[in-house]
Amino acid sequence: MVQITPSRHASPGKVFHHAFGDVWETQENQHISAGTSAARKTDTEDQKGSDGAMDNTLLVSLSSQLASYRSMDVIANNIANINTAGFKRDTVKFEEYIQNVTPAEGEVGAQAISFVADKGTSRDLTEGAITRTNAPFDMSINGRGYFTINTPNGPRYTRNGHFALDQDGRIVTEDGNALQGDGGDLTVTTDDGDIHIAQDGTVTGIRGQIGKVQLVSFDNESALVKEGDSRYITTQTATPVESPNIQQGTLEESNVKPVVEISKMLEVLRAYQTTASLTESQQELERNAIDKLAETQS
Amino acid sequence: MRALSIAATGMQAQQTNVEVIANNLANMNTTGFKQQRAEFQDLLYQNIEQPGAQTSDSGTVLPTGIQLGAGVRTAAVARIMSQGDLSSTSNPYDLAIQGSGYFHITMPDGTDAYSRAGNFALSPEGQIVTDKGYTVAPGIAVPSTATSVTVNAQGQVQASVPGQTAPQTLGQLELVRFPNEGGLSAQGDNLFTETTSSGSPQAGVPGSAGYGTIQQGFLETSNVNPVEEITSLITAQRAYEMNSKVVTAADDMLQTTSRMGGS
Repeated sequence: MVQITPSRHASPGKVFHHAFGDVWETQENQHISAGTSAARKTDTEDQKGSDGAMDNTLLVSLSSQLASYRSMDVIANNIANINTAGFKRDTVKFEEYIQNVTPAEGEVGAQAISFVADKGTSRDLTEGAITRTNAPFDMSINGRGYFTINTPNGPRYTRNGHFALDQDGRIVTEDGNALQGDGGDLTVTTDDGDIHIAQDGTVTGIRGQIGKVQLVSFDNESALVKEGDSRYITTQTATPVESPNIQQGTLEESNVKPVVEISKMLEVLRAYQTTASLTESQQELERNAIDKLAETQS
Repeated sequence: MRALSIAATGMQAQQTNVEVIANNLANMNTTGFKQQRAEFQDLLYQNIEQPGAQTSDSGTVLPTGIQLGAGVRTAAVARIMSQGDLSSTSNPYDLAIQGSGYFHITMPDGTDAYSRAGNFALSPEGQIVTDKGYTVAPGIAVPSTATSVTVNAQGQVQASVPGQTAPQTLGQLELVRFPNEGGLSAQGDNLFTETTSSGSPQAGVPGSAGYGTIQQGFLETSNVNPVEEITSLITAQRAYEMNSKVVTAADDMLQTTSRMGGS
């Protein structure tokens, strides 16, 4: 009995990285390849009477079903955050995990079995739509960059530009963490009157300049880790954005596109159902085989 | 199946959103009402595979990891403090604040409350009070013989009394500001109270630097924009529907699972 788990860490396999843009295309391909290779193997091995063949179909299906579950979770999270300012949607990337098959004696053309494994979630960094809120401390970033906020656990980065004042007049996020300007916290007093935030981030009141909102960028934006609460954490060095473009009184909406998510959701659902019916056919096949074999024996 | 609970957080968030919008629309004609908006944040992420984890001895790293989100939460319901329109009422005791600041109201139990709604009237004792009968600080009494009462932009209350050529000064209204207006706690009846996050009140004379001026015979209407609210309502409703579709899809997957091998 060959023990196969759809894990990248099980040793004898090779891992092929697929860099397809559309994740589900990748998975569909793998369905087909998984299906055919396993079926061919069944043909040859049935004659040899060797083991493992039937279970492979089940295990290949299982790997695909586990991947579907994970996709559904990611889609659900995207849809749940459809109104979260600055939210960037995630997509799941899959990869093929190949299990090499040692050919039985005299067997030619033994094929490898391929499984699906989830490789990672990648973030869609496209900008969300800009919506006008007219709140004086709402800001959206046009183009690249992140706001830096100072949390008790160190600096964090965000594109959710919903800020307000706290009791000391500091510009803070919804959780009370201070937005960082070029000189640290930005503090507005009641004597400053109406606050104007210029495109380059300069914050001015009627008494003059208060500070400048600092936007930062990173070498590898996709390597920022989501921390929840619209925040990102990273060990990369933050470099100030040279020509920031901040719009006061607006917010960047989430970049989740309802049509895309709903159609992906249906795709995942159908893929899952198809795989489930494949499993059932396989069971049917096994039952028939047992019946037939029992007949020949008697 | 995490998708079920994730979609449930989405539905809850949208429900809050609809409730906030409903409250805005219900208060469309409430004097001095400030529009509210629900703000959302994503929930914690579970790191299945950390981005940047090493994949070989030679130092190659994972370009992206696997991060699974847990849904959404309502982070805040923020009040938008923009100025509402001033509508003329010609009632001498209707006062509107143009600019920032709040009227200071003394509650029956002696505590302080603050309000933007200036629809005042006279009490049986001749004091300027709110529509609930609470005293407007510092408690200005209008003599019963007064023929007309004037409140100027600087908050000075004057009355013309028969037999006197010069108007009689009755008192001075004060305005109160806060370092963070958004942190005030709404008490209903158009009243707000101070909280730790609003900071302490700073009283001042209307028209002085940073304080608004008073307009007699006007009321500040609510700053709710019905078009904006209806659009938000539609968006919220659709988002709710979509989250419920995820619940259905997740349920279908679970049903398929439980039917597997059942025949």
